[in-house]
Amino acid sequence: MTTKTKNKVVTICIAVLLAGIFLWCLCRPADAFSDSERRALAQFPELSAETVLSGKFMTEFESYTLDQFPLRDKLRTLKAVCAFYLFGQKDNHDIYLAQGYASKLEYPMKEEAMERAAGRFAYVYDKYLKENDAKVYFSIIPDKNYFLAEANGYPALSYETFFEEMKKDMSFAEYIDITGLLTLKDFYRTDTHWKQENLIPVAGALGEAMGTPLSGEYRVETLDYPFYGVYYGQSALPLAAEEIKYLTSKALENCKVFDFQNNKETTVYDMEKAYGKDPYEMFLSGSLSLMTVENPNATTEKELILFRDSFGSSIAPLFAEGYRKITLVDIRYIHPDLLGRYIEFGGQDVLFLYSTLVLNNGETMK
Amino acid sequence: MLFSSIPFLYYFLPVVLILYFIAPKGLKNAVLLLASLFFYAWGEPKYVLLMIASIIIGYLSGLLIEAFREQRISKIILGISVGINLGFLAYFKYADFFIENFNTVTGLSVPFLKIALPIGISFYTFQILSYSVDVYRGDVPAQKNPVSLAAYVAMFPQLIAGPIVRYANIAEELKERTHSFENFALGIRRFIFGLAKKILIANTLGELCDIFKASEEKSVLFFWFYGIAFALHIYFDFSGYSDMAIGLGRVFGFHFAENFDYPYISKSVTEFWRRWHMSLGSWFRDYLYIPLGGNRVPKARWFFNIFVVWFSTGFWHGASWNFIVWGLYFAVLLVFEKMYLLKKLENSRVLSRVYVLFTVLISFVIFNAADMKEAFTYIGGMFGIGGVPFMTKEFVYYLRSYGVVLLLAIVGATPLVKQTVLKISNRNTNSQKAVNIAEPVLLVLLMLVMTAYLVDGSFNPFLYFRF
Repeated sequence: MTTKTKNKVVTICIAVLLAGIFLWCLCRPADAFSDSERRALAQFPELSAETVLSGKFMTEFESYTLDQFPLRDKLRTLKAVCAFYLFGQKDNHDIYLAQGYASKLEYPMKEEAMERAAGRFAYVYDKYLKENDAKVYFSIIPDKNYFLAEANGYPALSYETFFEEMKKDMSFAEYIDITGLLTLKDFYRTDTHWKQENLIPVAGALGEAMGTPLSGEYRVETLDYPFYGVYYGQSALPLAAEEIKYLTSKALENCKVFDFQNNKETTVYDMEKAYGKDPYEMFLSGSLSLMTVENPNATTEKELILFRDSFGSSIAPLFAEGYRKITLVDIRYIHPDLLGRYIEFGGQDVLFLYSTLVLNNGETMK
Repeated sequence: MLFSSIPFLYYFLPVVLILYFIAPKGLKNAVLLLASLFFYAWGEPKYVLLMIASIIIGYLSGLLIEAFREQRISKIILGISVGINLGFLAYFKYADFFIENFNTVTGLSVPFLKIALPIGISFYTFQILSYSVDVYRGDVPAQKNPVSLAAYVAMFPQLIAGPIVRYANIAEELKERTHSFENFALGIRRFIFGLAKKILIANTLGELCDIFKASEEKSVLFFWFYGIAFALHIYFDFSGYSDMAIGLGRVFGFHFAENFDYPYISKSVTEFWRRWHMSLGSWFRDYLYIPLGGNRVPKARWFFNIFVVWFSTGFWHGASWNFIVWGLYFAVLLVFEKMYLLKKLENSRVLSRVYVLFTVLISFVIFNAADMKEAFTYIGGMFGIGGVPFMTKEFVYYLRSYGVVLLLAIVGATPLVKQTVLKISNRNTNSQKAVNIAEPVLLVLLMLVMTAYLVDGSFNPFLYFRF
């Protein structure tokens, strides 16, 4: 190819590329939602003298062009592949891959956030539990980075210090250590969460420590729908789908679940959510501020109040065997001052069960 | 509007190219002007009027200076034009800096004006000033066509980040220029390479600098790593923008002067400044240093001239003391070199380069500091002052994570790649053909990868929040 020809080829290639993508951007219908990021996508902004003069139109138009760009998810994959394999970067938007697992860097330890979380738990204790003869327990769920980060050269929380700090700040509760009962295999490869089918020993240990032995006899069911966890979309890499397995039994099937947030009865496993955007939300319908699980077949009158994050959704059903009623509270979505309206405190077992991820971002607690 | 954005690349640029190339010759400057005003208004809808006012002042003063040439009044008109344009710059860029220092000195509390800085004001003001002075000096005739002058000042390729294009250099091309496949291909290639420098290297190193600043585990090695990363970041960012501007200019038939010439291979700071932001250096030389008397004056006055020029150079970069200190730091180095060091540096290939890299790296730590306190902390940190550990795990991680990009940046900051490609293509006809075939493929691939990086910039997961 002569230089003259090359100049023509370059001109034509780039002109076609620019004009082609321009036309494609103009012609393609706008998408409403990004499944990979689990968020609504920007739409064409309002065009008016006011929005133009304030610069709002331009800012929103830029977001619109980015969100609605043709082949957006494929381009995000191309970027991730370049970042990891061409430029040798160890993470992409803090998501990294190690030992076949995708995880997100959780670093450094945020002492203020931890203190905020512990402070809110102490507030709940002082307001409702101190005077009510409650047995208060506390346990921390290590996130995937506990098993993965340091061992693979990624920055990690100093977990030992983390646990010690939390124990010190929560001296009003009896600490139950579950770290030795978990391994990396107990977590999904593409998601933050742990697998319910592996949690029987953890639930057993927690129950044992609270004086409620659990037999842990369940049937394992497999959801007939592929599960792509939250890191699948965030990493933008072509990771394989996983299976969601869930534990059930006659007793669990008969449990009555009430969702106070939406004021409706629901079920332990929400099959509508199982086939939705985030199948992990099938466990007690995902992130809800306040709900109860009642087991009419329980052979005890004991009750449990579980202060929890989303990890609690999948383990809570496993406590139903040992408690007539479990109340699940997520104080990220309901202010502790409101709890007195819904819960009659007195004599229950109380378990604060939180993951390191949430505790290290404890500013989200109300 | 930024060159490295989807609205520019896939909306603005295709439309402007189509309109420009289908427009008849007599209307091309008008198309370019309208496109440039739209480009500017996109980011600064209100300040576009300020730029138009500056252009009108420049245009009228040019005509009047020429009309009253050789008369005292032309000098007055020049003074008024320069005064108004510098006044705009002083007001919009420096007002709060002056107020802050006035308050510090007097103990008063004059309220800040909190004026947003109009994008590109430092560049277009200097272009208008150079035009007015050149007309006054008789170096160029005044431009009679307001559209041509406005197209020169507002031309979007160089409007917001330079290079500072001299009117004299493109006056002829504003009248008559060639459009060809060669110009388009060479221009777009330069643009794409500039875009790659910005998106793939500068932005990635910028991320690293942000990570360092936010880190709670700084170490001596991390401070040095940051210093190197920032020095490369600013080079790739700025020279990348200049490449894009020069490339786009070429697409439209203009030949802008070069702005960077591998500054990090310099053997002295004097040489560094002949290779770094060349259009700014030559502007200060021609419109400040030489009018002050340059070096053809007694030694004390010569040094004074150098300090004035470098004070101004630093101040031009931003309304903050660290920019002034940065400029004066170079003044000291340049005086020192002129007096003692230059000859010694010429004799040492290695030491001279180590000296330049070290002094320039320190200068950029000052440049990028939020204030002088931070600058001293960072420079101290590089030498372990303040009980900083030598190394942390965090540093090792980021070295591993950004090492490849850093290495690419180091190689890319030298002429090695360019020389290698030239060597291959000049070897024989077949090599030339291979390079010619590879070029369009590489350019298209680069465009796709950079588009992927830009689109990924919108990555904004709903963290619901950690469930």
